[in-house]
Amino acid sequence: MLATINTASIRGIEGFLVSVEVDIAPGMPTLTVVGLPDAEVRESKERVIAAIRNSGFDFPLKRITINLSPAEQRKSGTHFDLPIALGVLAASDQLSQQAKEQLGRLLVLGELALDGSLRPCAGVLPMLISCQRDNLLAVIPPQNVLEGQVSGMSFITPHTLRELVDYLSGKIDQNTVQLTYTPEAENEPKTELDFADVKGQSLAKRALEIAAAGGHNVLMIGLPGTGKSMLAKRFAGILPPLTREESLEITKIYSICNLMGKSKLLTHRPFRDPHHTISNVALIGGGTNPRPGEVSLAHNGILFLDEFAEFSRASLEVLREPLENGVVTISRAKETVSYPARFTLLAAMNPCPCGNLGSTVKPCTCSPAQINRYRSRISGPLLDRIDLTVNLNPVHYSDWNKLREGDSSAQIRERVLRARAIQQHRFAGTNTTANAFMTPQQIKTFCPLPPQADTILETAMRKFGLSARSLDKILKTARTIADLENVPNIEVKHLVEVMQYRPLDRKGVADL
Amino acid sequence: MSALSTEERLARIRLNACLYLRADWLERLISVFGSAQEILRQDVATLSQEGLLSPATAEALLKDAFSVDPQQEWDKTAALGGHIYLPEDEEYPQSLRNCKEPPLAIYVLGQLPAETQACVGVVGTRKITPYGRRVARKLAEELSQCGVTVVSGLARGVDSEAHAAAVRQQKPTIAVIGTGIGRCYPAENRALEKAILAHGGAVISELPFDKPPHAFHFPRRNRLIAALSQPVVVVEGEIKSGALITAKLAVENGKDVLAVPGPIDSPQSGGPNSLIRDGAGVVTSVADVLDYIPQPQRFGLDLRFFKREQQTPVKPVEQLSEREQQVMQAVGDAQASLDQVAEALQADVPEAATLLFDLEVKGFLACENGLYSKSKF
Repeated sequence: MLATINTASIRGIEGFLVSVEVDIAPGMPTLTVVGLPDAEVRESKERVIAAIRNSGFDFPLKRITINLSPAEQRKSGTHFDLPIALGVLAASDQLSQQAKEQLGRLLVLGELALDGSLRPCAGVLPMLISCQRDNLLAVIPPQNVLEGQVSGMSFITPHTLRELVDYLSGKIDQNTVQLTYTPEAENEPKTELDFADVKGQSLAKRALEIAAAGGHNVLMIGLPGTGKSMLAKRFAGILPPLTREESLEITKIYSICNLMGKSKLLTHRPFRDPHHTISNVALIGGGTNPRPGEVSLAHNGILFLDEFAEFSRASLEVLREPLENGVVTISRAKETVSYPARFTLLAAMNPCPCGNLGSTVKPCTCSPAQINRYRSRISGPLLDRIDLTVNLNPVHYSDWNKLREGDSSAQIRERVLRARAIQQHRFAGTNTTANAFMTPQQIKTFCPLPPQADTILETAMRKFGLSARSLDKILKTARTIADLENVPNIEVKHLVEVMQYRPLDRKGVADL
Repeated sequence: MSALSTEERLARIRLNACLYLRADWLERLISVFGSAQEILRQDVATLSQEGLLSPATAEALLKDAFSVDPQQEWDKTAALGGHIYLPEDEEYPQSLRNCKEPPLAIYVLGQLPAETQACVGVVGTRKITPYGRRVARKLAEELSQCGVTVVSGLARGVDSEAHAAAVRQQKPTIAVIGTGIGRCYPAENRALEKAILAHGGAVISELPFDKPPHAFHFPRRNRLIAALSQPVVVVEGEIKSGALITAKLAVENGKDVLAVPGPIDSPQSGGPNSLIRDGAGVVTSVADVLDYIPQPQRFGLDLRFFKREQQTPVKPVEQLSEREQQVMQAVGDAQASLDQVAEALQADVPEAATLLFDLEVKGFLACENGLYSKSKF
């Protein structure tokens, strides 16, 4: 007897339809899974055998062959348990005629416990979205109900294998197997962290405002305890809200990584802060079965790398591709997948290995060579992708109470939104989403230099040693500052302000 | 002075490559064996026995000596437009001949100063503070304007500032380097080295051609700075630092040591302050330095503007706008970040950035690690 069940699998962040074909033939009792199954799919047969027996069915002692088609694609994930079990039941004639007739319109996903109950599995959302067809009914574990609702596909959520079979046979009604869930609206960003909490550091705050407005990457260099992490954690609060497409993209990635937790659609920009001992595969994604890395988990959000210079050189260098293209392409001998990874990089580091360079209280004990070595861990090409660099200096206790209150996150966010709206209008119909991603052609069109700019830039190049290749970055950043001010053209003062955000370009030698 | 045969010259260049022995020991060996050629003909046993060296030193000496090819040293130096001078040569500076350990050979690029030329050493730390930068720059600038040649070591920090200030005045300056000629350390000073040569200065080294830097080269090099200068000014340096080694060597060579006083809580001023406590001269203006230039070398110096009573007036801050003056006030004598300036002026970041940029371009302020400080007196 032969039975076919529809299910799905994941490649990159997209799902694709998979047919589970179950053939039961007389012969030695064996169970073989073919069609490039990964280890977890191969293990599935042990769970299926137990679940079928413990649900009150018989497991046929015959020669069973299970084919996962298309056979040339690798399949991974634990959600093949339920379709395989259902297929075995259908092929061994344990389903009623009514149930069998419905199998063709089902898309079945779910991991089985040994007692036959369903367990949650990863990647439900992208699979449902990609495999959405008319009159296809999804079967998903009850714990994945939120993803089912987000996908917009009609679905049922049986609790056990037995419940699914009973439903298909018409023994129980739909209400028993269909969960609904109405999450409370959570569209406003969390408010407990506010920029107004951070006293002083107006330059760094301004840099973050510019970064939020134009999508620029930021490097914060400062003594320990100057508020680098504090500022980074508040950065999400001034970013524009996610669009529906954006949140769908992140939700898919989180679904694949099984990181959904209790939320429905992710509506907050993700904030990822991996530790500096992270391996480059964990950072960028990959592995023998490719999985999204931290850069993809930070997609449409923030990747905060504290102790930037302590990351291994290799992990920092792999950041270059996603910073440039917004995607990560992972090529393995068997397949190539891409994960989206368009994030804002916030990096933080100490000014020198001992951390006291520039402190007025503690002297720095590092030699110039040590400082050079420490800084050169961040390669030039990587620095080239960071538009804004700020030095953070400690706030003296005596000044603490005198300091002005800075703007609140809400105020800053309002300005950011205005600047973003200008950019949306400017880049309408192109792939560019923000000033930071302008192409050289767009820089030419949208960033004309003000009349007196030549003298300024020439001075800057001579005096501060700015290189010609930093010119593009200066223009992009100046464009964002002009947008924040809502003026049509870049002015000299904008260029001058940008110079503040380029301390590392300054040459460390006496000028001639 | 007897002229040396070419073979003897080459043998001495070989001997000069031996870095294990002080130059005066090498000279003693030459007098024991009669000539450098004779030394090189000895085997390790004889050399150590008759030269009163340990066998290990004797072996190292011969190994070092035969590791260089003197003809090639000569050719490579000549290819860069340089010369190798021995004490027997007329061009060899008299001041070096007079020092306690005159090098057996010096490699020179550019133009050595005349014997009557006043030379002042300006030395100090590589970890320069804004204060040290200000002082080094001002002293070197004004000394150059007087016609004094600034001697230093082309290292980072004080050395670079002193050389660069002289070069900006289009005046010759002498760099005694701790690597071989043909190599620049630190590499970022390559442009400065070129500029020094372009303005009639000189780059001097006693090390073999293209020798890479080593920690022990620098104290050796410092004795040449001390020998070439009178007086030596220590701008900044920790209590245990190369600058203080130079000062010590200067004293041993009978040179005057002057020190620039600094804040007592600044580690970089610890060296000069301790020198002052031990009796070094105090530098409060360039006039204090000029006082120590020996009489014969004063001839021809332009001292008009640098009499003590005619100190150059403090740079008129009046030409700045009111807002800019407020910035200067906010920066004060220490270092201030943009945040502090903005706070003091009740200005926003763009305005503060513009003011600071203008002042930096005008040369009133200098910025390092995001901290601004006054760059002029």
